[in-house]
Amino acid sequence: MSSLPVAPAEALASPWPNPIALSFQKVTHRYGTRIALDRLDLEVLRGEVLALLGPNGAGKSTTISALLGLVRPQEGQVEVLGSDPRQAVSAGRIGAMLQSGSGIGLPPGVRVDEALGLVRRLYSRPAPRDQIVERANIGALLRRRTDRLSGGEAQRVRFAIAIAGDPEVVFLDEPTSAMDVESRRSFWRMMRAFGDEGRTVLFATHHLAEADEIADRVVVLNHGKVVADGPGATLKAAVATRRLRFVIDTPDHAQLSALDGVTEVGVCGTSVSIDSMDADATIRDLVGRGVPFRDLEMTGAGLEQAFLTLTGQPSVHTTGSAMPAEITSADALGRGDS
Amino acid sequence: MTDLSVSPPSPSNDRKDHASADSESHEGWRTRLRPLLAFGRFEVGRLLRSWRFLAITIGFPVVFYILFLGDHTAGKVVDGTVPWRVYLMVSMCSFGALVAALNAAGTRLSMERASGWARQLRITPLPAWSYVATKVVASMLVVLPVIVLVEAVGAGFGDVRLATTTWIGLTLLLWATSLPFAVLGVFIGFLVAPEAAFPVVTGLMFVLGYFGGLFTPVDQMPGSLQFVAHLIPSYHQVSLALASIDGHTLALSHWLVLAGCVAILGLAIAWKHRVEEARGLA
Repeated sequence: MSSLPVAPAEALASPWPNPIALSFQKVTHRYGTRIALDRLDLEVLRGEVLALLGPNGAGKSTTISALLGLVRPQEGQVEVLGSDPRQAVSAGRIGAMLQSGSGIGLPPGVRVDEALGLVRRLYSRPAPRDQIVERANIGALLRRRTDRLSGGEAQRVRFAIAIAGDPEVVFLDEPTSAMDVESRRSFWRMMRAFGDEGRTVLFATHHLAEADEIADRVVVLNHGKVVADGPGATLKAAVATRRLRFVIDTPDHAQLSALDGVTEVGVCGTSVSIDSMDADATIRDLVGRGVPFRDLEMTGAGLEQAFLTLTGQPSVHTTGSAMPAEITSADALGRGDS
Repeated sequence: MTDLSVSPPSPSNDRKDHASADSESHEGWRTRLRPLLAFGRFEVGRLLRSWRFLAITIGFPVVFYILFLGDHTAGKVVDGTVPWRVYLMVSMCSFGALVAALNAAGTRLSMERASGWARQLRITPLPAWSYVATKVVASMLVVLPVIVLVEAVGAGFGDVRLATTTWIGLTLLLWATSLPFAVLGVFIGFLVAPEAAFPVVTGLMFVLGYFGGLFTPVDQMPGSLQFVAHLIPSYHQVSLALASIDGHTLALSHWLVLAGCVAILGLAIAWKHRVEEARGLA
């Protein structure tokens, strides 16, 4: 849709009668004894592209399920576009791409165009077919059977299905988990363009680089609560951590931990990796104590470190193995920016 | 933070207001019916195009029927009055309905649920109940031609001669009484993991077929097995069908058992659905 009508000036002043697209008020939900959402408060404005970030089990999927009415929280109130989530779903105002579990989330044994055709007919006012095909870049896949798609192709088709109803709000739950780096980049371009049309997009991810690059606003969830909320850049600045890497022949963990500003120390053989709240002070201290370091490297904090600090998890070091693999790969993805 | 002024409201907003106004107007039912019809067409189309499914559902009962026809059964009688050839055709119709209904829903539904497609449909305007309802209806639509085909084999090769009205009545009766199988198929799809669905469906086909008296008439079974047969819808379906051919009254007890099966299975599906919803899996 390259020919979007430009809204008149007075409309821009107040684009929507109710600017709040999504709201959680003191929402609590438990699965048995495990708490998934813990008095969650969250408001998302119309037109925002929001990343929901957090470790596994932080409550990201439950948040999205509650927004879709798939889960009915035991306490509190969830509203989507000013109404009950189920009502917004029935009215065809929401699209979503959920985690697909064991399969690809598409009906087996039919062609892509048939599945898309069905979903369009389920909405009273679907987006034009050609527009969907172009946006999701599935022109070459239409005649293919859904069970003969690669992971990345299937995700594009699922995105097409999510936007088929011309929704005002779109939820994506870890949409790029099955994709390689290249498909991932083009997927986010696609989604960002969709958000730039003034639609509200909320996506869950634990690819931190994605959240940082794509979203207007990043909300970090942990244990079902919002632990941080703001633009990605603000989150990063909130934690002024720098990471220092260098080599010492005989690293002394206790000595390194005692350096000025140090928050974390990782040692692997002769390689040392240190997180510092005040890198200048740490380096001065290193030199002052006469520590025989060499090959010093310093990197800025990625959103990753900010995120780990905020959720109170141990930082990732060369020696660390407790972190999920995704975070390591996100680190690899984001390396170009740091 | 987002600068709202950068993004003009989606042009679809105005249209959405029309949508809600529409549903209140007299055209509302048509708007609501359209997705149901689209989904129904999609489901039946998928079923009919799957040749493996057709081979199983049509081939199985017909092959069985023809094999049984080879038996020398002249003069053999079931329930005192029913000629064997009539019993055989009716029981093979019942078997065909059972096979078609279990296969149409069971395996596929289980796969769709595991793959997330069922969930994807739930977040469209398609009403939640209509997924289950459409599966049942689609199974029933596939059951009908199977019944007619077995009847055609009966008329052509099975030496079954009936008045036209009796044929029609029999067909409709067999069709209507296949509903428990259709609901059972959906229940299995809800209950069983995809890997297990095919063996479970195949096993049930033969268990329900045998104990329901489709391969051996119930009156020729040992007493304890006769008791089991009375719990199985196949027996009641065949009893009703044979009664209709003979012009006997259709005993209420048979209808009640069949209706009871539908009700219990329906409740079981609803229960499973609620459990999953509470766990956030639905």
